[in-house]
Amino acid sequence: MNKLVKNLHIYAGLLTLAHLVIYGIAGLVATFQPGQARPKVTNAVRYVPFSVPGSLNDKQVADLVYRTLQLPLTRPMPDWFLRHTPDKDLLLDFYNINGIYRVIVLEREHQLRIDDIRNSNWLFLEDMHAMTLGDAEGPRMVHVWAAWNEVAMWSLLAFCVSGVYLWLSSRPRFIWAYTSLIGGAIGLAAFWWELR
Amino acid sequence: MYKTIRTLHLIFGLSSLPFLLVYGLSAVQMAHPKWFHTKPAIHDVNIPMAPGYTDGRSVARELMINGNLRGEIASVQETAPGFTIRIVLPGTVHEIQYDRKTGTAYVRTSVAGFMGRLNRLHHAAGLWHEYLPLKCWAMFVGLVSLATVGLGLTGIVMWWMRRQDRMIGIILLGANLAFSVTILFLLRRAGP
Repeated sequence: MNKLVKNLHIYAGLLTLAHLVIYGIAGLVATFQPGQARPKVTNAVRYVPFSVPGSLNDKQVADLVYRTLQLPLTRPMPDWFLRHTPDKDLLLDFYNINGIYRVIVLEREHQLRIDDIRNSNWLFLEDMHAMTLGDAEGPRMVHVWAAWNEVAMWSLLAFCVSGVYLWLSSRPRFIWAYTSLIGGAIGLAAFWWELR
Repeated sequence: MYKTIRTLHLIFGLSSLPFLLVYGLSAVQMAHPKWFHTKPAIHDVNIPMAPGYTDGRSVARELMINGNLRGEIASVQETAPGFTIRIVLPGTVHEIQYDRKTGTAYVRTSVAGFMGRLNRLHHAAGLWHEYLPLKCWAMFVGLVSLATVGLGLTGIVMWWMRRQDRMIGIILLGANLAFSVTILFLLRRAGP
């Protein structure tokens, strides 16, 4: 039994190693993030000719922009997400896993202004750790990643159980193990109480 | 060498085990929200205060001292009658409407259940928090994150030292790394 659990523990660990390390990195990124809001720094700006048909409403313009630009890994803009600039131009934030394509529809100039707002590699990994299968409309590649993430998530819980089993079945009298577990449990209980 | 690494793996794992359970269970809740009931309990109360406050944070502080509210002041907005203030803890949100004229603070408190609270704790990271208990929690999150990376690294070293599992391990690890690096590279290359 011990050997079987140990093998499963090792094999599942190897099969999900990259994801588990990314979970750790995501936690560190969140810890050292300077504030709640993420920095939105424009990396590049470009203009694309675009004429708005006079009969369209904002949602239809957003859909037309989406079909025209075909920005990678984005999805159609929901109507509750439409905004306007102070100059009353339609502002469309197309989010993807790497950041934001901020598109401003400059109707009078017959142009689209596209700002590329690219997240850092660290924020990218933080977002990757959060991908779930629940987002069925997302890009296929992200969905595939989410499937492996699902395996890693269940594996993490399984490691908690199998790790305790392996400890108790191999080194049940190791005092530092008890100290570590009790220390962690007291820490969590203290936070649970204080943050209630 | 092997014994030292195994001890480190054990200590990293057991010290962070309660926190990893919080993260693992809340991850399941987020991945499968329909499986869980996370609707918060809501209760309202009117708290009498002095009228005429001109500063929203002073209202919040007064409520924390005399109104028995705790948490981080998440937002303060001036409104026509007074202020709207949010005081937040992971899983607990106090929404306050202070009327400057009457001096009444109407407080709507929503308290999440067990899974809802786990969810909020999962998101409560960041040393930028002003509220000391949240800042301390953020430190623990950082330590647990380091331990998670440490678990992976010590685990891989231990596997490599166990010669009998190398072949199947190389296949599994190779599959995971090939998949991960490829997907991450392709996604990252897509822009912006």
